[in-house]
Amino acid sequence: MFEDLLSKLYEMTAIGDFVETPGYLLMLLIAFALLYLGIVKKYEPLLLIPIGFGVLLANFPGADLGVVPGSAIELGEDADGRMQYMNLFEIAHEYGIFNFLYYALIKTGLLPPLIFLGVGAMTDFGPMLRNLKLALFGGAAQFGIFTVLLIAMASGAFSIKEAASLAIIGGADGPTAIYTTIKLAPDLLGPIAIAAYSYMALVPVIIPLVVKLLCSEKELKINMRQQDKLFPPKHQIKNLRAVKIIFPIVLGTVVIILVPSAGPLLGMLLLGNLLKEIGTDTQRLTTAATDYIMNPATIILGLCVGATMTADVFLDIKTIGIIVGGFFAFALSVASGICLVKLFNLFAKKKINPLCGATGLSAVPMASRVANEISTKYDSQNHVLQYCMSSNVSGVIGSAVAAGVLITFLA
Amino acid sequence: MGEALFLMVVGMVMVFIILLLVVVLGNVIIRFVNRFVPEEEVKAKTNQVAPTIDPKIYAAICSAVSTVTAGKGSVVEVKKI
Repeated sequence: MFEDLLSKLYEMTAIGDFVETPGYLLMLLIAFALLYLGIVKKYEPLLLIPIGFGVLLANFPGADLGVVPGSAIELGEDADGRMQYMNLFEIAHEYGIFNFLYYALIKTGLLPPLIFLGVGAMTDFGPMLRNLKLALFGGAAQFGIFTVLLIAMASGAFSIKEAASLAIIGGADGPTAIYTTIKLAPDLLGPIAIAAYSYMALVPVIIPLVVKLLCSEKELKINMRQQDKLFPPKHQIKNLRAVKIIFPIVLGTVVIILVPSAGPLLGMLLLGNLLKEIGTDTQRLTTAATDYIMNPATIILGLCVGATMTADVFLDIKTIGIIVGGFFAFALSVASGICLVKLFNLFAKKKINPLCGATGLSAVPMASRVANEISTKYDSQNHVLQYCMSSNVSGVIGSAVAAGVLITFLA
Repeated sequence: MGEALFLMVVGMVMVFIILLLVVVLGNVIIRFVNRFVPEEEVKAKTNQVAPTIDPKIYAAICSAVSTVTAGKGSVVEVKKI
């Protein structure tokens, strides 16, 4: 009698599932680690805390809060050979609310552009417009993306779509990485989002490491303000506000004609920026973009991305490949930017501090702040923040374009 | 592997073309604005603040007002209530 009772209690709880599948326990430990990093270490807390909690919820056996793979909602092909899927009501009824949110808002690719709208409204193109030539160094940093794509393909462990999703981590742009992965390899969304945001949080470690390996003290002491005095820019901006309003309209028009698949991300980024630059007339929309749209979007995105990380999906050899590959993508992006500046300095009279190349990966404005800390360590008067922001902001555009190219050819 | 190499070449070329366009378009817009809309309307300074106020505090108040009103507002008077 007593044994029966104990047996029923054992079956009622999830303890038996933990014993049968220890992977769940490991996932809970990973969730606790992510929450610890977000809360105590303050590594990207706005993202890691919702993601960590999503991982936690998704890995309670029997609670059915994890996101199911795309194959679970397939209904089979119709007469024309097109795959049919469950509708959202059926998904909510069958797999619960997390799957409803995931398939309605994430799988459709809606939330990353909405987050970009808010990012745009918080981005200042001013430093880039004042130092336009430095924007080119934001392009070099995208080299890390494509190099890791090659390496991942050479390893044989990833398909080309998976390799592209892994490589985009090198763009150091969370929404871009998530958007690309949704389009190319949605099954890897969890590990790729974790790797992208973890390495973004580790920018203060990765950039100094690569800079130390590649730059001499003399190069890091190059004072950009002195260089500006020696070689002043040809045109001073007489009306910065007008330039900032016209710029996103013209840039959006031209770029989206050339790379339409970058439209959802770049379009929303530039719209957000335009709203901000117009000022009081659109103040309410700017506030909506940065607060009322971006904040709930961030919570839902983080939670659903975390909920994709169930034990059977995450505990895979590919996850290790993504963690290692993501680091290389990041480090190579920083190194490529530095190398292009060094190459430029060989031929140009006006020298550029290589830190302006190191910040070519997105991670705005953390990368620029880290670069400024490094430069002031060598010379307390040498502030490179404004100059680094130029390549930093152009890096956001560059990584969105790189993502657009990958999606165009592979989706 | 060949496809990855192709993507690398196309991707990097595209990224640099777009960023080159950013530079070119930025310069064109700056020249256009410098020529046709060179100055923002400068508001007449109607304010004379009492000399007893610390200039740093006054500058901070002006800056805050300018940020909140996106450059449209101005400080007319600063006084203790």
